[in-house]
Amino acid sequence: MSIFEYNGSALVAMVGKNCFAIASDRRLGVQLQTIATDFQRIFKIHDKLFLGLSGLGSDAQTLHQRLVFRHKLYQLREERDMKPETFASLVSAMLYEKRFGPYFVQPVIAGLGEDDKPFICTMDSIGAKELAKDFVVAGTASESLYGACESMFKPDMDHEELFETISQALVSSIDRDCLSGWGGHVYIVTPTEVTERILKGRMD
Amino acid sequence: MTKEHANWSPYDNNGGTCVAIAGADYCVIAADTRMSTGYSILTRDYSKICKLADKSYMASSGFQADVKALQKVLSSRHLIYQHQHNKQMSCPAMAQLLSNTLYYKRFFPYYAFNVLGGLDSEGKGCVFTYDAVGSYERVGYSAQGSGATLITPFLDNQLKSPSPLLLPAKDAVTPLSEAEAVDLVKTCFASATERDIYTGDSVEIIILNAKGVRSETEQLRKD
Repeated sequence: MSIFEYNGSALVAMVGKNCFAIASDRRLGVQLQTIATDFQRIFKIHDKLFLGLSGLGSDAQTLHQRLVFRHKLYQLREERDMKPETFASLVSAMLYEKRFGPYFVQPVIAGLGEDDKPFICTMDSIGAKELAKDFVVAGTASESLYGACESMFKPDMDHEELFETISQALVSSIDRDCLSGWGGHVYIVTPTEVTERILKGRMD
Repeated sequence: MTKEHANWSPYDNNGGTCVAIAGADYCVIAADTRMSTGYSILTRDYSKICKLADKSYMASSGFQADVKALQKVLSSRHLIYQHQHNKQMSCPAMAQLLSNTLYYKRFFPYYAFNVLGGLDSEGKGCVFTYDAVGSYERVGYSAQGSGATLITPFLDNQLKSPSPLLLPAKDAVTPLSEAEAVDLVKTCFASATERDIYTGDSVEIIILNAKGVRSETEQLRKD
């Protein structure tokens, strides 16, 4: 079994009209045993920047701690929040530093950049960035998520429709993946507010 | 101490995706027409669907040489059945025959991932889904092949028929109309084509109902 499949995860981010959504499953497993059903995979860096980390849980938490540290230092020096594009480059650089002994994670970054323009990107475990205009997926359920998102996505959805779409895509994909599950965590971010919702799916 | 392994395999994977959906009085069977090997395309218009009986159509992805052999075996067994019983095989009967034929080669399997679609003796749609060695189940819908993992969650969500994952098991057919089901199949293949390199070129769709059989072809991305 691959190290990326040790804990199980499902992550997706989608772009809407002046808003974005980022969602994950809630299961933490050790191979086939479920250890936690409320595991946090999405972290807020600042009000308009969210980071999701799929893959090995331990590396996800460590990387998150390091990134919070770097961002706080940036805030002290620059007296402002980091732009999502800059943050993505930071994550990419940190991952590539460990090129020959990598963090076993696949990050998904979502934020509102200049003029509140939605920005999403994902990268592989050594920092190769993939910028997308529509959606990005990561984790053990990624193939299912690709299929579901590709069929359900349409551009310029408002935040309510975006919530419905990302939730349906996430729940359908998780239900077909043994290593992801126990519901979902969805964050909808607009220029004015952040909404966090928990989804109920098959609790297995 | 390690065993020496063969550097030649009798199998190859020609890729492709097959889908079937059962309705109250119809059945839709679809497969893309791309045949590949490795990263190359062998042909863009190869049919993966075979008519086994008047009301049984089989779509198979995997190793097409094994699929062709399997289709031949089943067709000839059906011909013998027709001589002996003076009638066509029903879809559930063909389903059992396919299972037995696959298990017969349990220790050198047909590398074929099959979906059997048709109408049962009551005229209701039926879909049977198989693994390579003959384990099968009657379901309301199924996808097999390289694009299966992309399509199945979407079908779970859209068909509004009881998911095969639910317990207790419920009667399988979708409440969707025939036209809606055909449209859904086209959407599935368009999405799978975007993200799966082995799926594309065009999709062949067979629609079976009380009036007979009809075929549609829809073009897909060729990259």
